[in-house]
Amino acid sequence: MLKLDKVETFYGSIKALKGVSFEVPDRSIVTLLGANGAGKTTTVRTIAGLTPATSGTITFDGKRIERLKPDRMVSLGIALVPQGRLLFSELTVEENLELGAYSRNDKADIQLDIEKAYAQFPILKEKRGHDAGTLSGGQQQMLAVARSLMSRPKLLILDEPSLGLAPLIVEEIFGIIQRIRDDGTAILLVEQNANMALGISDHGYVLESGEVLLSGTAAELIRDPQVQRAYMGHGDAGGEPALQDAQH
Amino acid sequence: MDPVLIENLLQRIVTGVLVGSIYGLLCTGLGMIFGVIRVINFAQGEFMMLGMYATMIIGGMLATVFGLGPATGAYLAIVVAAVVLAGAGWGLQRYVISHVSGARAAGSDNEGHFAQLILTLGLSLVLSNLALILFGSSPQTVQSSLSSSSWTIGPFTAGAITVFVNQARAIGCVCAVVVSTALYFFVHRTRAGTSMRAAADNPTAATIVGIDVEGAYARAFAIGTGATALAGGLIAMYYPVNPYIGVEFVIIMYAGVVLGGMGSMLGAFWGGFTMGVVQQLSTYFLPFQLQNATIFILFLVVVLLRPQGLFGRSAERT
Repeated sequence: MLKLDKVETFYGSIKALKGVSFEVPDRSIVTLLGANGAGKTTTVRTIAGLTPATSGTITFDGKRIERLKPDRMVSLGIALVPQGRLLFSELTVEENLELGAYSRNDKADIQLDIEKAYAQFPILKEKRGHDAGTLSGGQQQMLAVARSLMSRPKLLILDEPSLGLAPLIVEEIFGIIQRIRDDGTAILLVEQNANMALGISDHGYVLESGEVLLSGTAAELIRDPQVQRAYMGHGDAGGEPALQDAQH
Repeated sequence: MDPVLIENLLQRIVTGVLVGSIYGLLCTGLGMIFGVIRVINFAQGEFMMLGMYATMIIGGMLATVFGLGPATGAYLAIVVAAVVLAGAGWGLQRYVISHVSGARAAGSDNEGHFAQLILTLGLSLVLSNLALILFGSSPQTVQSSLSSSSWTIGPFTAGAITVFVNQARAIGCVCAVVVSTALYFFVHRTRAGTSMRAAADNPTAATIVGIDVEGAYARAFAIGTGATALAGGLIAMYYPVNPYIGVEFVIIMYAGVVLGGMGSMLGAFWGGFTMGVVQQLSTYFLPFQLQNATIFILFLVVVLLRPQGLFGRSAERT
């Protein structure tokens, strides 16, 4: 579905990605782990075309996409739930959902999908006329996920969907992510919450300083002592930024 | 109460409603740019000024070439001017202001507002001085009898009270209300309008859902300059134009948009409307020279009591 090959990206003069390669197969969940500043969000922005790659190739569904403009990605089938959710805060919940389907032209089907989203997230139906900015953090995250699904994506990229949310809500969101995969959408999940993310994933990659440090099936990574020490709060890596973040 | 005083007051209210509606369209144009996509355009007054000159000059030409009446020629010219100046606005946003607005300015300290201010203030000076060279400094008027013709309402109360409805202002009022209503529905009820609001609300999110943000900004800017130019043309039907008239009106426009509430098209219209009514009514109580002062006193009071404006939903943008 998605394949990155030796992708390099610069942020100004800083090389943020130093030849990143990985793959997201059809109908699978792939997790990208890493500490703050490891290059996770840069990877997401590079795939989405927001921070274009300076070298390497990105292939999606058999097509090269590394030179495409970011507003073209969604019509190819790539949807993004960005970090911080990036809702249209002054627009209503319903308008946010409608805009999620901006790349589509089938008006009647869009209406059906909005009803589907409301069935899946009843709280959004209740708040359909409210400004998105007035929702709680959990509700906003649900709206961000629902909005991204409105484009009927083949690949859904979620950047830190658990950030700042209560454990119960995080569990709910992860349940939803699994359901989306079961419906046939491939998922790239960027997380610091390694335990939960690997728990629902098929494969995982660990990024460090803009490079892939480790990769394997989720089961392998969960057992890996390095991953356990750095990202799961086992061992004595007290000073690690990843550990501090995992405790939020 | 003395019937003469009542007649005077009624006359001012009627004129206020007519002029206010046209100011409403003027502000709706700026509301599109300053309110909806949040770009500062200090040259907005010059778009109004160009709309006025175009109405006068192109209108005169159309009237002579096609043998139309001066009024018909002028109204045709208003439509032509609005379309041409909408195009100019599109180009201005697409190729100049886009460097300091939208996605490229998102995340910078002031969202590019300082640069927009300097850029458009400069453009404003260039345009008004260009108009000075081309048209001279003396005020000019559209050659039409509409501005001096009136319909009469009344007489009421045994002939004591008669109200005059100036024809140029009345036609302007009707056009302004129709166009403002259409723009309101466009911005709030259509896909293209929603995409403009979305692009302004969060440019990155808009890009992610597939909106061409630069294009949406340019289209919004075009509508904004076109609407203001159109309103300028309607004003030119009863008010003389000079090269510096933009400066006189741009302040009223900004006050109207803020008074109504940023981001609300309805608010921009009612903000402008209020400006017009207050301006006309103030002459009933106060000397003519104080009419603009009255507007700003009202503006201050509203901003003090209701910082989000009459129709604004929140004081702070989140």
